[in-house]
Amino acid sequence: MNLLRTTADATEMMFKFAQPEAHDKAPLDYETLRDVIDLALWAGQLLMQSGAESQQVEETVHRLGTGLGCDWLDILVSPNALVITAISDGEFRTKVRRVVNLGVNLQAVVEVSTLVQQVLVGELDRHELRIELERISHFQPGYSRWTVALMVGAACAAFSSLFGGDWLICAITFVASVVAMLLREELHKQHFNPFLVVVITGFAASAVASIAPLVHLGNQPQLTLISSVLLLVPGVPLINSVQDLLKGYMLTGIARGFTGGAIAACIALGLLLAMSLLRVTGL
Amino acid sequence: MTSFDLLITVIRDMVLSGLAALGFAILFNAPKRMLLGCFLCGAAGHTLRTILMNSGASVEFSTLVGALAVGFISTYLSDRYNVPASVFTVTGAIPLVPGIFAFQTIVGLLNATSSRAEQSVELLVAAGINGVRTALILGAIAFGIAAPMLLFRRSSPSV
Repeated sequence: MNLLRTTADATEMMFKFAQPEAHDKAPLDYETLRDVIDLALWAGQLLMQSGAESQQVEETVHRLGTGLGCDWLDILVSPNALVITAISDGEFRTKVRRVVNLGVNLQAVVEVSTLVQQVLVGELDRHELRIELERISHFQPGYSRWTVALMVGAACAAFSSLFGGDWLICAITFVASVVAMLLREELHKQHFNPFLVVVITGFAASAVASIAPLVHLGNQPQLTLISSVLLLVPGVPLINSVQDLLKGYMLTGIARGFTGGAIAACIALGLLLAMSLLRVTGL
Repeated sequence: MTSFDLLITVIRDMVLSGLAALGFAILFNAPKRMLLGCFLCGAAGHTLRTILMNSGASVEFSTLVGALAVGFISTYLSDRYNVPASVFTVTGAIPLVPGIFAFQTIVGLLNATSSRAEQSVELLVAAGINGVRTALILGAIAFGIAAPMLLFRRSSPSV
């Protein structure tokens, strides 16, 4: 029951700011309105780039803008742009910002959401908010590349074990996905096209994993091929796609679904390339 | 299967699926103090699915129940840590994602183009079934993890 109550309270708080009769606020002048819309767009952009779903982006931006003194914000979330109109006492401004999807970064999602809460209780003003957003935009990942690679390798090995592989299958999957993950990081750093990165990484992972079916190691050698490319599976785009569709964001939902499908096709392409070059059969 | 075997299966499943969720949580740069929650969500969802599938339920229905568990645990954890629920839902859902089915769909389609006519019909049917199954499982995951929000937050669409 506690769960029910806190969720209901959060809802009430969230929608209190969405009431159109919030006219007791002091009107913002044109320059302040520009600053507010700039900050709101920035926060929304950070969320979209970090893999947040559309409703989360829209609600967070709305709460931030109204918390900074606007009467109302209208937000259009499209697959690669964010459009915001901020309104205060009849005055309004609109701005568009292009958004490029950069993958998933949960740290940024958490930090932006914390900032918005601080703005709502009045702990942060616009100047401090700008400094904080600047910091989030430039922060370094919390884990070293080797930690990420080893943990992703362990995750793929765990998947191969769940599918019924023995310890030898697990070990080969681990090595293949660690190599693939390191390669993927390196290619991302060189700013290759994201789909090309997936094809090359999928190819590398399955080329290393091919040793099991070629030498007949383990109980189900073909499992290494499937498990080692799982680190590339577009889980977040696909889940976000269906969530967006469920909540009425058709445009972003369809776009994310297509992205997920294209990434899955790229994985299959890399894997089949490796299999045909190394003459591995029987998948 | 004796109850002891079942216990071993369940514990093994918990550890492995939790590890899978943890690995992806680190890939997604989740904050360190939330890693335990990510582990728990991944383990709970996937273990529930395994238990249901062992007792004869379909993979789609089992996934729905597993995803519901992920959704409700995530809501609890997000209240507790005061962070968006998506931190836990995204990582918790990863072990449930039908990577194998999606993959078999695409490989089936590609194989169908390079086979003789009689064979390609069979391959196309198999790919179609896998494709539908992928879509159903994805829908079940999304609905399951969105369920707490859909149930508890039904205010007018003012935002």
